[in-house]
Amino acid sequence: MQEDLKKEQLARVNIYALISRLLMTEVDEDLLKLILKDKNILSFFPVFKDWKKRKGMSNKDLIERYLNVDFTNLLLLHLIPYESFYTREDQMMETGGDNPVQQLYNDFDFRVELDTARVMAGDHIGVELEFMYKLCEAQMKALDDGAEDVVAQIAEIEYNFLKEHLVEWAPLFLLNVKNEAGTAFYFDLANFAIEFILSDFQYLSDLKKNNFKTKEESE
Amino acid sequence: MYLQSRRTFLKGAAFSVAGVAIAKGVFATDAAAESITSSKFTNTPDSISFYPDVSEWNSFKELDGTDWKRGGIERHGVRSEDNPDGIQVNDYTIVPTVCSNCEAGCGLTAWVNTNEFEKGILTVRKYMGNPLHTGSRGRNCAKGYAVTSQMYDPDRIPFPIKRAPGSKRGEGKWVRVTWDEAMSAIGKKMHDTLAKGDEISKKQIMYHVGRPNENGFGPRVPQSLGIDGYNSHTNICSAGAREGTIQWANDDRNSPDWAGADLIFLQSSHAADAGHYFQQSAGYIADARKRGAKMVVIDPRMSNSAGMADLWIPAWPGTEAALYLYLANRILHEKDRDGTDLVDHAYIKEWMNWDRLMANKDYLKKMVGYGYISKVPTGDSYEDFIELAKELYAPYTKEMVVRECKLEGMEYKLDELWDLFIPAGAKIASYLWRAGAIGHRGGWMNTRAGFLPLALRGAMRGDIGGIGMHHWHEISVAGKGDKATVAGEHPKPTDAWNELAWPPEYPLSTYEMGFMLPQLMMDDEWLEKWTKRGLKIPKSLSVYVPRMHNPLWINPDGFRWMEALKREDKFELTFNLSPTWSETNWYCDYVLPVGLAGERNDQQSTPSKPEQRIEFRQAVLRVAAEKAGWKPKDPTRATLEAHAKFGLGEVWEESEFWPNLIFHHVDPDGSLGVGKYWASKKDPSRCVSVPEWFDEALSLLPKLKSAATKMYKGEEYPVYSYIRDHGAWTEKTDVYKPQEEELEFDGTNYIAHGKKYPKDTVTKDEFGALWVKDGEFKKSIGVDIDGKLHEGFHTLSKKLEFFSEWLTEWKWPEYAVPIYPRNEGEYKKMIHLVTQVHHKEMKADNEFALNTIYRLPYNIHTRSVNSKHLMEISQNHNPIWIYTKDAEKLGIKRGDAVKVQIEDTLTGIQSGYFVAMAVPTEATRPGVLACSHHAGRWKLQDSVKIPGFAHSLGIMSLGSPKVEMTNDGKIGTMKTTEGIHPHKAWQFKEYNKDLDFIWWDGLSGAWQNAVAPLHPDPVAGNHGWHQKVILSKGGPDDKIGNIYVNYENNFKVYKEWRDQLARPLDASDKLRRPYHIKRPVKPSQKAYEFNIKDV
Repeated sequence: MQEDLKKEQLARVNIYALISRLLMTEVDEDLLKLILKDKNILSFFPVFKDWKKRKGMSNKDLIERYLNVDFTNLLLLHLIPYESFYTREDQMMETGGDNPVQQLYNDFDFRVELDTARVMAGDHIGVELEFMYKLCEAQMKALDDGAEDVVAQIAEIEYNFLKEHLVEWAPLFLLNVKNEAGTAFYFDLANFAIEFILSDFQYLSDLKKNNFKTKEESE
Repeated sequence: MYLQSRRTFLKGAAFSVAGVAIAKGVFATDAAAESITSSKFTNTPDSISFYPDVSEWNSFKELDGTDWKRGGIERHGVRSEDNPDGIQVNDYTIVPTVCSNCEAGCGLTAWVNTNEFEKGILTVRKYMGNPLHTGSRGRNCAKGYAVTSQMYDPDRIPFPIKRAPGSKRGEGKWVRVTWDEAMSAIGKKMHDTLAKGDEISKKQIMYHVGRPNENGFGPRVPQSLGIDGYNSHTNICSAGAREGTIQWANDDRNSPDWAGADLIFLQSSHAADAGHYFQQSAGYIADARKRGAKMVVIDPRMSNSAGMADLWIPAWPGTEAALYLYLANRILHEKDRDGTDLVDHAYIKEWMNWDRLMANKDYLKKMVGYGYISKVPTGDSYEDFIELAKELYAPYTKEMVVRECKLEGMEYKLDELWDLFIPAGAKIASYLWRAGAIGHRGGWMNTRAGFLPLALRGAMRGDIGGIGMHHWHEISVAGKGDKATVAGEHPKPTDAWNELAWPPEYPLSTYEMGFMLPQLMMDDEWLEKWTKRGLKIPKSLSVYVPRMHNPLWINPDGFRWMEALKREDKFELTFNLSPTWSETNWYCDYVLPVGLAGERNDQQSTPSKPEQRIEFRQAVLRVAAEKAGWKPKDPTRATLEAHAKFGLGEVWEESEFWPNLIFHHVDPDGSLGVGKYWASKKDPSRCVSVPEWFDEALSLLPKLKSAATKMYKGEEYPVYSYIRDHGAWTEKTDVYKPQEEELEFDGTNYIAHGKKYPKDTVTKDEFGALWVKDGEFKKSIGVDIDGKLHEGFHTLSKKLEFFSEWLTEWKWPEYAVPIYPRNEGEYKKMIHLVTQVHHKEMKADNEFALNTIYRLPYNIHTRSVNSKHLMEISQNHNPIWIYTKDAEKLGIKRGDAVKVQIEDTLTGIQSGYFVAMAVPTEATRPGVLACSHHAGRWKLQDSVKIPGFAHSLGIMSLGSPKVEMTNDGKIGTMKTTEGIHPHKAWQFKEYNKDLDFIWWDGLSGAWQNAVAPLHPDPVAGNHGWHQKVILSKGGPDDKIGNIYVNYENNFKVYKEWRDQLARPLDASDKLRRPYHIKRPVKPSQKAYEFNIKDV
């Protein structure tokens, strides 16, 4: 059972890592190569897998002619991948220290390198997902160390973060991405991310019923 | 498809690469993150109140502003050993000081970065306001914040320089000298002059002070030498307003309570746009308006203030007196809505000297003779006086004012003015200064007449929201640190009277006739005339010392100044104590670099509200270094040492320079008896130090002394320590109506201004004034009003003087009451009151009055020349304003070069012209041009090479274009050859990385001051700045900035103004000047004696 739990946790770590990365910056050749090569990853991109346009095209061309164009359209130009845009009444982005997500990171001693992320505020979807990745990673370590209390504490943080932030707005944004996507890759990515976020929230909600104690203990 | 089976996602566990290799990794290390949470810094301060509590000033940490541009702490955290890429934290010592640009003296704090103190580096990163200064309240104007760019001006003179031996003045050849070498040569010359000991020698050293921005130290310098050697710039600045106020209240100027007023009544844009005491006054005016107060601005130009006022009255410049007397007329004749009189009879009856007028039948007869009144009143009661006043001012009707002030079509504005003036009652605040008072012949009457309607309404009582007097609110103790010296007392007044500052043609001038020094010095005829009559006037000055002054450039007739300063037989040794390069420096023997706002030690006091306050300007690098443990080798040269050690250069300042010069070099052996006034009481082997001097001087304020000695218990200089750490002190608040205070009487003595007068030495005259003997003269110490004794005003009558009796005795009887020519016939008879730019003088479409007297809010006459921040916001902002329709008539368009020919209206003599850039605008009235005389700086060279010094020194390279100049003793010309080219910054590089971005060319102004002939007002002695000009479009060779001057003609104009208009002293006179009115650095009563023979 413990192994299942660890497997589950590892999956969460890797998926948060993947979707945060892809929603934060453009895909590069190495990552694209990995996605295409790794059948487990590729399975999350079913339309893209069979997308005719990519056939007979080098990864470089695919990125430059399609994927980067779509990324720019979806995440830089036309859609606004920031929580504050979706949650503030005036639909303004909060780029200063008053951003509640930013304050949350500060509370946990996390500091976003906005210039590295190339984003304007810490409530960018990619950053929020990477925050979840960091939490999951920490939870994984705690699990390895057998620190069950810590595992539960982190799970509660994850639950709250999803509930108060990501679930509040990310599905809406990702639906927009899905609707606006000009490539199968970002269509699939949006779909994958929505499904995973909602699924993960369901998972954590189930844990909450047991005060975030692991299934093994609760059973 | 929502939701997929959770199991689907378990594939995530089987990724061939771990998440860590995929994730972007945008969350930083713990060290950086911790640096934020463990620091007090935040991206979003709770408040924009950015002044830390004074208790933190010795060490206040703040994130570096430049570094912050990298993205703030959210991106980089706070710099530490663990987080070397974080945002730098500066450890500041916050040292209070005072701005030294305009006279407002707003509080500043210098934020001295001490991070690298151990390496011998201290830098002022910024200047902010001082929240402890109760006048400026932590706020500053652009000039205050620009002090950093003045301090770290790349063209600052880094050490004393001397005219190269063998070169002539103006050749521009300089060598480096030490302060000691300079002091040795200067001191010897001064010693040799003083050692002669005769009357002439006491007039041969002249200290010519620009804007002093301190209260009394400068005047003590010549006084301590036993000479009459103080000169000032005031008569190109303030004399007219002073004269008008002195006649009313024997006070230097008025002091309004802006914040409490219901009506802000401004003549010109002074106080709200610039000048006394801009920024502080503007803040209080804004407070009043927020509360509902109204504002009226009387100015031919739509200034910033006029643009925001409730009412703008563009009266023809110089005719304002007619407008004020019109108000007086209506106040005297009309009733309030409830049927009561508008005159505040209760106040006027008690506090105006109407009784002396009514008792002076001879003068009343004269008034009949002048046509002021029809007959001598039969009675002498108050009611009779009111009837007299009604008759006197009846001619100042609306029709008369419209005609005189040229307000045709704007009659409704006079009604609006009335509707604003009357409801404000006694709560009218005003500052009748600047353009109306200084720009004109008779300008003083604009102030004199302006106070009449204000007095009649009770506003001159000095109560809440009204107008008080300046000295009520001013504290002058900077020259009174006497107890710190061996002498232990103030230097005695000299017996000499210096005619070069106080010529006998202008006995009532307010004050020194400093702007005409070269005219006097070069006029052998004048010298001979007065010498024959028995005056002892020097033919030359042995030592001439401008201080923060650029007389050659700022005064009228600049080429005459140039000629004079080049004459080594007239000006034997000259040195300028100057913080920047200047045109005057170029013609001096030494340029001794002195400090600006954060580099000097001065006590200042600037009444901007009804309180008594001092502020203390100090050398901030010295103070910060001393707080960090640094000690100077010589405590009397601490400022100089600190500046040299901590990177500013060999920049000094007067409160250390003069004691050192006089003690060590002028009177090294004490034989002249002057060194003792600067010798330290604590250590007589050296001169007095800054802490010693100012601790004693400021200890004269009892409340400050009490507070300081408690707070700094056990310290050697507690009062100095207090002011060093706080920068300002408010001794007394709510200073209203002190003249109505009861005169103290202890049963034996009357006590006035701290002095005791035994009862039996005091006599009371028939009008209630109490008199005592004052040496050979008499003075009044109080006044009895209805059986109660009061301190009274500073006048002889101790009341507001509607009737200036002493003016009748000093040759100007016809102007002893507020008056203004009422018809064309009187223009000639009363020529002294008619402006030289009166509209009757403008006879053609291209003839205009030129309004030159207004300040640009972001420049100061000369010391801001190389402040890049101030230059940036002021360049191309000094065109010649011309009313749109006037421009249309003459075919002048925006940007055209126009030739502005100056013509004197007294003589018809033309002076020459300057070429300016025209800007047609609705913001100046028809017939009146506007061009502030603050722009038009020039230089002959871009830089100078100093032998043995690695870098060439740039000359005003951020603010002045280069010119070609010719002058042959009669004609002077100037042509601009090149615009701004910043000199390479070899010093203060960190502050001057942006010089490549300088976009302005500096080619928008002309040196109009050089073209202007002298117009000395015959009474106040002010230079009437405004000019009649003839305007034409420039030809192909007329480039903006060009000037042509016939300065031989200018000399003729000056002489005619002097000889036709002034009423000089003659053999019948026994005194040089009325003893009771102010004379800065008053000499002895003996010096006042005047005994000449008519020749």
